This record gives sequence, C-alpha cells and structure tokens, in this order.
Amino acid sequence: MGLTRRDFIKASAAAAAFAAVGAPMLRPEGAEAAEAGITWGKAPCRYCGVGCSVLVGVKDGKIVTTKGDPAGPVNKGLNCIKGYFLSKALYGKDRLTKPLIRKGNKMVEATWDEALDLIASKYRQAVSQHGPDSVAMYGSGQWTVQEGYVASKLMKGGIGTNNLEPNARLCMASAVVGFMNTFGSDEPMGCYDDLDLGDTYILWGANMAEAHPVLFSRLIDNKLKHPKVRLIDIATRKTRTTKMADEYIPMRPHGDLAALNGIIHVILRDKLYDESFIREHISFKRGKENAPYGLKDKEAFNETPADVKGLSFDEYKQLMKLFTPQWAESVSGIPAGKIEELARIYSDKSRKVNSLWTMGVNQHSRGVWVNNLIYNLHLLTGKICKPGENPLSLTGQPSACGTAREVGTFAHRLPADMVVMNEAHRKKTAGIWGIDPGKISPKVGLHTVELFRAIERDEIKCIWIQCTNPFQSLPNLSRVRKAAQARKAFIVVSDIYPTRTTELADVILPSASWVEKEGVYGNTERRTQQWFKMIDPPGEAKEDTWQLIQFARRMGLGHLFPYSEKGMHREIWEEYRKFTIGTGKDLAPYQAYTKVRGLRWPIKPDGSETRWRYTDLDDQNVKKGEGIKFYKAPGNKANVWFRPYEPPAESPDKAYPFWFSTGRLLEHWHTGTMTGRVPELKRAVPGATIELHPEDAKRLGIKNRDLVRITSRRGSVVLPAEINGRGTPEKGSVFAAFFDENRLINELCIDAFDPLSKEPDFKKCAVKVKKA
Amino acid sequence: MGDESKNSGISRRQFLRRSAVTPLALALAGGALSSVYLRPADAGGFTLRPPGAVAGKRFLSACVRCGKCAQACPYGSIKLAGGEAGTGIGTPVITPRETPCYLCQDLPCVKACPSGALDNNLEDIENVRMGTAVIIDRESCLSIRGLRCEVCYRQCPLIDKAITLEVRHNTRTDEHTIMEPVVHKEKCVGCGICENSCVLPKPVIVVQRLVETQKDGYEF
Repeated sequence: MGLTRRDFIKASAAAAAFAAVGAPMLRPEGAEAAEAGITWGKAPCRYCGVGCSVLVGVKDGKIVTTKGDPAGPVNKGLNCIKGYFLSKALYGKDRLTKPLIRKGNKMVEATWDEALDLIASKYRQAVSQHGPDSVAMYGSGQWTVQEGYVASKLMKGGIGTNNLEPNARLCMASAVVGFMNTFGSDEPMGCYDDLDLGDTYILWGANMAEAHPVLFSRLIDNKLKHPKVRLIDIATRKTRTTKMADEYIPMRPHGDLAALNGIIHVILRDKLYDESFIREHISFKRGKENAPYGLKDKEAFNETPADVKGLSFDEYKQLMKLFTPQWAESVSGIPAGKIEELARIYSDKSRKVNSLWTMGVNQHSRGVWVNNLIYNLHLLTGKICKPGENPLSLTGQPSACGTAREVGTFAHRLPADMVVMNEAHRKKTAGIWGIDPGKISPKVGLHTVELFRAIERDEIKCIWIQCTNPFQSLPNLSRVRKAAQARKAFIVVSDIYPTRTTELADVILPSASWVEKEGVYGNTERRTQQWFKMIDPPGEAKEDTWQLIQFARRMGLGHLFPYSEKGMHREIWEEYRKFTIGTGKDLAPYQAYTKVRGLRWPIKPDGSETRWRYTDLDDQNVKKGEGIKFYKAPGNKANVWFRPYEPPAESPDKAYPFWFSTGRLLEHWHTGTMTGRVPELKRAVPGATIELHPEDAKRLGIKNRDLVRITSRRGSVVLPAEINGRGTPEKGSVFAAFFDENRLINELCIDAFDPLSKEPDFKKCAVKVKKA
Repeated sequence: MGDESKNSGISRRQFLRRSAVTPLALALAGGALSSVYLRPADAGGFTLRPPGAVAGKRFLSACVRCGKCAQACPYGSIKLAGGEAGTGIGTPVITPRETPCYLCQDLPCVKACPSGALDNNLEDIENVRMGTAVIIDRESCLSIRGLRCEVCYRQCPLIDKAITLEVRHNTRTDEHTIMEPVVHKEKCVGCGICENSCVLPKPVIVVQRLVETQKDGYEF
C-alpha cells in the first residue's frame, strides 16, 4: 500500500482503533502502490438490510473509492450495483449544508443556534400549552443505533411522550409482532447460514433477486452446488426471483392467509406434524377476530391477554377443519393439489425447509397473522431452530433490526424487547437512564399512520423527522401532504438532500451521512456492525445525534446526555448495552465491534457470536442437553395461533377493477433520494413505470412505454407502461416501484393497516387503468 | 463519470450545410452527435441506423436525407449525421449512449420513411435487426465479476430472449453466484438500450454490426 503502519494509524481515527489488531485484516486484496495515500476504513453498506461489508478509501478528506470487503462474511467482497456506487450517494451536487428556516414561502439560511433555538421554543411552547403528547419525532430504520437510542431517551425519558416512531413501522412492524406473540422475543432464531445449509426454500411474497441482491446470489449458489435444493416462489407477480426459482406458484393478493391455513389443515388432517415437538414446545392460542382495518381515525384495536384464549391441540385441530384445500384454492387461487403438495414438502422429514418473506407478508392488513401462520408451519413440523431449517424474516433497512427494533424506537417499545405499558420495564429503563420512573409515560404513543393523521387534526403541534422521507413514502399520501401543507404543525426535517419531505418543512437541518459520522447498524441476521467517522460532512452539516443532544440542552434535558465529545458513540453504546445483558439479546462491548465485520447477538460470555437461538447447539442460554428451548416465551413454549381468513380492506370492483401493488427495484433505494443522485443508477433506471400483464395491456390498447393513468379512490398518477419487462404482475394486477420523486405513486395506496402491528398494506388497493 | 452531453463540435459551416437538407429544429436537436465514448472505436466503424434500414452502402443511396424518420421518433433517438459522416451527411443515426432506440411497437420511423431506406415491410419489432449487442470487455463487466449488477439484462426490452443470465458458482467467494448476461444475437434487435444503461464509464456492452451466423451441417 506504500503506507507505513505509523502513517496508517495517524491517518484516521477510524483506522486507528482497530489498526492494532485489525490492520492486516483490513488491508484489501490487491491494494497496490497506485492507492498510496489512501486510508481504508470498514463500514456496513448504507442501503439495505442484507448488511454487506464495504471498505472505504479516503484521501484528502474525501472518499475516493469504496469496494466490497473481502473479509465481510455476508458478501465476501461483493456488492450489488447500489453498493458499487455507494460513495456517490454522498456527493450529489445539492447536499444540504446549512440550516434553513421557513419565512413565508422561502427557506432562508440560518445559524445552528437560530434553528435549534427556534425548534426548542416551539417544542417548549407546545409541551407547556398542550402537554408532552402534542409533540413527536419520526425516525428511521436507517438511523444508527446511537441516533435511535438518543432519540428514544430524549422523547420517552426526557420530554415524557411515547410519540416516537420509526419508518420501520411501514416495513417490519408485522414481523415484530409476529415474533413477539409467537416467541416472546423479536428477531430470527436462524441466520444467513441457513441459506447455505438448507435444501428447500419457500418464498412468500419476497422478490429477493432485487430487494436482497447479494443474499439472493448466496441462496442461488446453494442451488448450484446441491441438486436437491428447491426454490419455490409463491407470489402475485412474476419477478427476477421467479425466473431463477424451480417453481412459481401464482397467488391472488391476500391469498397467503388462506393458502397457509390450507397447508396447516392438511398437515393436521394427515398427521404430518411432529407430535413430540408439539408436546414439548408449543401452546395453542386463539386471539381476537373480526378486526378493523384502521380506516377510521382513532379506531382502537388491541389484543390484550384477556382476549387470548388457550386451546388444546384437539380444539385447535377441530377449528382448523374449516380450512380445506378446496376452500384455500377458492380464496387464494392456488390449486388444492398444490396446497396438499406444499403440506408434504413442509413436513418432509428428508427435507430441510426454510421460509423466507419480506414486504408481501408484512405490508398486509393481516400481516401479523401471516407471520404467525408461517411460524405455525415450522412449529408443527419441528422445522425450526436447526441449522439449515428455519423461518427467516428478511428486513429491508440497514438497521431496522439494530435500531428500530433492538433499541425500540416504536411508540410502544423500550430497548431489548421491553414495552412502555409494563411497569417493571419502565422501572428498569428509568434506572439505566437515571430518571424518575414516573417520567416514562405508560400510554402507547401514536403509531405512524395515526401520527400523521393527528397532524391533520391539529393534535400534533411539532414533529421532527430524521433520516426518512414520509411525504413520499406514506400511504394515502395526498391526505398527509395536504395536512402538512396546512402549516398547522411545526415540521422539522433533518436530511442530506432536498426531498419531497423537506419541501414541506418549517426548518431543514443538514445532516451527516454514513461515514461522515460514527455509528452502528444491525442487519437481518442479528449482525451488529460498527464503523468510525472517516470524512467530515459537507458545509455545516451535523450528525443527527449531535442535533438531538443540542436540542435536548435547550429543552433543559442536557443532563440526560453526559457524553464526552470524543467518546460519545462508545459511551452511548455502553449505556445502551446495559439493557441487553442477561436478556438473551446480549451485545458485546463497543471495542469488540471495532475489530470485526459484525457479530451476531446474543454474544456469549467468551465474546463469540450466536448463529442459532433457542437451541443447545449454539445458544448459551439453553443448557446442553435441553435441546430446543423457547426461553423468552411464557412457560418456554412458543405459540401456535389460530388465525382465520379475513378479507382485505379494499378489493377490485367494477369502478376500480385492478389490484395495485408497490415495491422496490434493484437499482434504487427506497424513495431514491440517494440513488437518484448517482448518475449511473439514474441513467439505468430514470423513472418509475407501471407494470401490466400483457393480456390486460392488449385489452386496454396499451403498448409498451405508452403513458397510462392509474387512479385509485385516493389519487391519480401517470406512468409509462412496462410490458414483459423485469416484472409481470398476474392478470388483473399492476405494479409500480415507489422510488420516483416525480411520480408519487403512494397517493394511490390505501392507509388501511394491520390491527395488531399498525403496519399499512402497501401491496393491495383497487385502481383503474386507462391509457393517458 | 464523464459528462456525456458534450457538444459534438460541429462547426458553423457544417451546421449551415446540414440545415440546407434538414429542418432547422432537427439540425439543432442533432447537435450532440458524437460523445466522449467514441462509438466508431467501440463499434468497429459501425453506424447504428434506425429499425429496418437496408444493408450497408445500399442505405446511403436509398436514403434521401429528408429527416422524416427523425421527426417521427418520439424519443429524439434518431439524429441526422453531420459533416463528419462524409457522404453519409444528413442520414439518420442512433447513438445509443446518448439515446437508444426504444423500439416503439408501431415503428413510426419506418412508417415515415418515403424512400424505402427503412424497409416498410417491417412490422414486428422483434424482427428488427439494427445490429447486435456484444460484451466487449468481460474483464470489466461487473456482473461477470460477481457483483449483482445485470442492469443491461433487466433493461433489455427482450429480457430473457435477447439477453439471458447464465449462472455459475463463484469460485472466489465459494458461496455466491455469478450471474452473467449473455446476448443471443438471433433475438437481439440492436436497440442499444443495454449500451445506454451500462453503468460503467465505458460501456462494456455495445451494439455492433450483426454478423450472420455461419451455417454448417451441425444443427442442434
């Protein structure tokens, strides 16, 4: 590298901390003299939940190159095309560099003091006049652990409101509730190793080829190596994933609820279950049914312990008799014979079966139920907590797990699986935070959809949005945009670029991004990855943690954040880590993460990671000889839930005859604020299109690239048609990705949500389609 | 990344000469003909013509340089060649790296051609043969190096026909898949969308002259 060890250590704080142990490991392959003067640091990729590791080359205070980290266990030096151009996401020409304050229709440059003083005065005024629940914060699964932790402590422990939400409400909330009410603890028992070790993979509404690119490459490699491996894609749209699957099973939207119940019916009918596993590890439960869809404001729904009935196995079997394969076919469109076959695959003792799912299941008005039903299959057949044999809920954001879920930045959560409704949890939290337990409100805050509706009702006076773009990404978007445009609520937005959200802000704060600050992310497989600051943010941009703490000081809450300037990130981590010790979600000391490409929790006493939870094979919370033990669940038993079929909130009819669904493409990330600034990605995929089935297009006289007007009861968007391209929806369905800031397709989406997780259903609403 | 919309450097004289045979607006639109990616070098002197163009030199004599095909193109993909094209001045060309042919289903450029230089018998876009895409730099192709790129494949209007992905084990990581885009010239129409969308500074996939498959007795 033409760089002495001394230079290397001197060159950056980033490298210094792990140079002592990690420098040889850090040295990228083929780093030649041409790269002289470049200092390398390690970081997880900024984009998705896969958690690829990258090496960042810095010279003269600028990132000059990035590359996949050969030492990264997830990606071994590879990246997807977003990751290849990672650094360009930071160097768009229109980075925000100064705080801006709204003066009428203009945003005027201000100093940090002016901006922060203004924000604090607005928050103080709202709290004193209307109480702490009149203010809110809306954060992100792309927040670092430290950012989420400080936000949670500030809102819940300082201001005294639980009106704190992450955008992860829009993507992982159903998975969370599924984990909690089945296993008593969030996040998967398995890990990515299961993608190498299993032989049967059943995808429920997940387009891994585009949404989890490098992970999909790993899954397909298993198939190449082992002829036994079967990949079955159950979906409502033919995708690039379908193309590489062994079998595609088309399913009607919302049909998963019926199909899963049909498969379970067959397993019970034909006694294909694992009786001893059931006896030892399972309780049967029935919850509340006939749930609403959240379409009315303030429509309350809860499943309290009093609503839950215990069932015997026989009672459960009796209830499940309803869901015959023929019935499942009539609802899901999946042939009864195929339902029977899937039951046999799931229960085949010679097969290691894994289920994989993401937004098709989670963004679902009965998303928690579908999560529960997938777990039922694995629990009834005993195919769980075993290497190569697990259900794996894939995440979308780089730290939906690490920050939103583990730190607990939801309106009901506290760190490490604790909740605000529980007195003991509030007490433990207050103890670590050094505050009076009475300060933490027992009242669950407003969940995302209700939070933005409350702006319309003038009940939220101040909201601070960090690291996310809700005025492009929320469902029923025109309604929430109009509420913001009414300028009743005071809206603060911290971001790195102008977005469809900053355009509605009263104050815009320029943020530091990714390696312009220090941080920690946690990915799908419980892997916690740390990185150091490597470059300065542009202009006056500041990291979100700094912004929050400066604001806290102005709110008289500075004492909650007694961190040193230099060691802040480490000190926050060590404080947060206290929550996890002895909970089965144990994290390691900060120092440990500086040396490696992530560790999967729970961290064992010897500092090593855990690949499989709840099993004596690997999890030290289970004694050797105990086999599998769901030690976070009451009575050490996981729940198999009876979850019947209930229809979607809105279905196609004469006036709106098509299903509409939305999602991601490989080339763009979320709302495109970063990837849209990468010229190569922008040229590759300049704008969103509407995918149609060729027969529907023909019937409507629509040709490829014709402009098409899509209209729902909530909004109307014009998009060019894409026929026989990368994705083909089933007949009667259309699909558009949501990255395009010029085509706000979320105006079409219904703001119906799952009654338990409060996660909106972005995958199903009714639209009409017309040539524009 | 270089700036791709550099001016072609057409002189005022060339401009005036050209405008004698082309409507003014079209001549203006044609201003950015050559680019920093030197097409002739990449494409072996091959000039990409609109769909249905009759072969080689015959095209130069058949085309009356009226510019109607360029006028009919809704995407501005078809430009009229300037003085640097020599005897080809005023003939329609497509520079994929700037704007490729988006393969309109009703082929308006072909319908607009009064001279037969663009063959009016052409009706099905899948029968268009403007050229064929070739991966000219396998060593640089991100997909062949194991990254999950495959942008050319997903953007191909004949995805899974003209370009398919061939998968093989990545021996370096030992646990990933190389997904290599492979062009099938019997299906490729030569529209240049792949060349346009390639994310590398110099496209590793470019449209070249379609070389006819050499026939022999081995028919598989």
